[in-house]
Amino acid sequence: MKKAISLVLAAALCAGVLAGCGQSQSSSAAGTSSGSQAAADGSKELNLFTWVGMFPDEVISDFEAETGIKVNYSNFDTDETMLQKLSQAKGGDYDLVIADDYIIETAIAQGLVAELDTSKLENWGNINPVYQGQFYDPENAYTVPYGAGVQTIVYNPAVVDVEIKGYADLWNAALEDNLAVIGNYRVINGMALKVMGESYNTEDTATIQAAGQKLLELAPNIRLIKDDNTQDDLISGEVGAAVMYTSQVTMAKLADPSLEVVFPEEGIGLGIMAQFIPSNAPHADAAYAFIDYILRPEVSKACFEYMGYYCTNQAADELIADEYKEFLTLPEGFDDDNTEMIQPISAEAEEAHVQVWTEFKNACGQ
Amino acid sequence: MKTTPQKAKNRGYWLTLLPLYIFTLIFVAGPLVYMVVLSFLKRAEGWGVTNQFTLSNYTQILQPVYLATFADSLKLALISTALIVLVGYPFGYFMARLSPKGKQRMTLALMVPFWTNSLIRLYGWIIILRANGPLDQLVMALGLSDKPLKLLYTYPAVVVGMVYALLQFMIFSVYSSAEKMDWSLVEAARDLGASPARAFFTVTLKLTLPGLLSGVILTFIPSMGLFFIADILGGNKVVLVGSLIQDQLIKAHNTPFAAALSVVLMLMTTLMIALYRKISGVKDLEGLV
Repeated sequence: MKKAISLVLAAALCAGVLAGCGQSQSSSAAGTSSGSQAAADGSKELNLFTWVGMFPDEVISDFEAETGIKVNYSNFDTDETMLQKLSQAKGGDYDLVIADDYIIETAIAQGLVAELDTSKLENWGNINPVYQGQFYDPENAYTVPYGAGVQTIVYNPAVVDVEIKGYADLWNAALEDNLAVIGNYRVINGMALKVMGESYNTEDTATIQAAGQKLLELAPNIRLIKDDNTQDDLISGEVGAAVMYTSQVTMAKLADPSLEVVFPEEGIGLGIMAQFIPSNAPHADAAYAFIDYILRPEVSKACFEYMGYYCTNQAADELIADEYKEFLTLPEGFDDDNTEMIQPISAEAEEAHVQVWTEFKNACGQ
Repeated sequence: MKTTPQKAKNRGYWLTLLPLYIFTLIFVAGPLVYMVVLSFLKRAEGWGVTNQFTLSNYTQILQPVYLATFADSLKLALISTALIVLVGYPFGYFMARLSPKGKQRMTLALMVPFWTNSLIRLYGWIIILRANGPLDQLVMALGLSDKPLKLLYTYPAVVVGMVYALLQFMIFSVYSSAEKMDWSLVEAARDLGASPARAFFTVTLKLTLPGLLSGVILTFIPSMGLFFIADILGGNKVVLVGSLIQDQLIKAHNTPFAAALSVVLMLMTTLMIALYRKISGVKDLEGLV
C-alpha cells in the first residue's frame, strides 16, 4: 500500500516537473515563432512593458483599431524587475518599455536600449524640451519622455496648525505623529539633505550621515511610510500632511480641493518617466508607430488626464481640461536652478543612505 | 536510511525517490548554496556582484542599527507568540472537547478565512482600524473618546495582525494533540485525588506539549518573516529583518548583504528549533516533520 502511494506521488511529481518543462518550452517556442511570423507579416504586434495603469483602455484600443497592431501589455512592479527581465532577454522580447529615469541610464549603459531614429517620429517636435537632455539621455538619442513628477508636500490646513512652505517646516513639533512620507530613501533622506542645503546626489558619506542625524529628529512626526495610495490616508484624515508623488497629489486635490499643495522652497526633486525601444526589439516598427501615436496632442491629453502626471507633450498642454490644468503642467518658475533629479550614486554612498534609512525607520517605530 | 536485507527491492525504492531528490536538489539545496555563496561575495558598483571573497557582509550586520533590527524582530515574534499561546491553547483544548459535529463546524469556521488571500484579510483590518473607521465610531458613540483614536499604523495594530494571521496554526496543533489524548488518564488523576489544576499541569499539559510546541514553532518562525503585516498595519515603521532584506535586495541592490542577512536569519530559526527540541525532549513535532 505504502509503495503504491509513493509510486503515485512520484509519478505525480514527475508529471508536474515535466509539465513545467513542457510549458516553458512551448512558451519560448511560441515567443520565437510569433517573432518570425510578425517579421514576415510586417509587425502586427507590440509587446509593451511598463507599470500597470499607464494608459487609458481606449487609447490602446483606438491604436489597435487604427493600425491593426495588437498590443500585448505586460507590466512590472519595480524598475529593478524590468531591468532584470530585459537583461535576461538580452534586450529582446519587448518592443517598448516605459520606466523611470535612473534605471534607463543603467539600461543604456548595459547596451539594452536601441538608438532612436527620430525621422520615424512625425510628432517628435511635440515633446516639451524641458523634459529632454537630462542626465540619463543627454543627447535625446534613446528616449521619449512620458510623464514627469515632482515630490510635493500636501497638507490639510484644517487640521495642521503650521503654515508649511518647505521641508524644514515638517520638523515642526506641531506635526507630531501626523505626517506621511513615501518610502523612497533617496527622496526622504534627500529632504534632510535639502534642508542642509546639499544636493540629492552628494557622494560624501559624512554629509549623508549628518543628514541621517537630522532625519532622526523628524521621526516623532512620522505616522506612516508608504509608496502607494498615500493620498487615501490624507483624505481619510489618518494624517494631516504628506510628502507625495505628483499623481498622488492630483488624486488628493481632485478628491479634496481644500488641501494645500506646497513645492518645497529648499528645492524640488524632479523625476521623469520615458519610453525606449530595447536593443533587440522584435517589432521596432510597431514601437515607433505607438510612440508617434502617443505623441499626438489629443492622445497625450487623454493619457495625462488619466495618469495625473505632468504632461511632457507641449502640444497637448492647451488641450488639457481646466479642472486638470493646474496639476498636469509644470508650475511656473521651475527651472534648473531649483529642480534636481535623483541620479545613481556610488555603492558606498548608497550604503550610507540605506543605513541612514534603516536607522530612521527604526526610530519612527519607537 | 536503514539498510535492510531487501536488496532487490532497493532499486525500485530508489527510483521512486529519485524525482523527490532531484526536486530537493534543484529547488532547495541549489538556491541555498547559491545564497550562501552570494553572501561571501563583494558587491559590484551599482548592480550585481563581483567574484571577490569578503566577510564584510557579515561584519556589516554587527552594526548597531542592524542588530537592533534583529532584536526588534525577535521582540515582535515573542510578543505575538505569547499572545497566540494565551488565546490559541485554550481554544484548541476546548475545541477538542466538543462533540464530533461541533468539531467539524469549528474546523470549517476556522478554515473558511483561509480561502481568502491573507493580504486581503489584512486590508479588512485596515478598514476596521483606520481613522473614523467602525472601531473609532464605536468608541466615540460609547463616549469613550471625543476624537478619532490613532489605532492604525501603531505597534499594537501590528501585533493584532500577527496574532490574527497565525492563530489558526496554534489552534490546530493544540487541537490535534488534545484530540488524541486519552482523557481517561485525566480521569484517573482526578480519581486518585489530584485537583483539577494539578491534573491539568501534570497530565493534560504534558500530553499536549508536542502540539503546543509545534504551534509555537509554526507561529514564532513565520512571525520573524511576515514583514508585510508590519508594513501594512504598522505603516512601515516597525522594521523587521524581512523588510530589511527586501529593502537591501530591491531598493539598494545589495544582493550579497541581503543574502548574508538571510543566512543569519535562517541560522537563528534553525537554532530556535533545535533549542525547542532540546528543552522539550520532543522528537516528533505535531504537524511538522
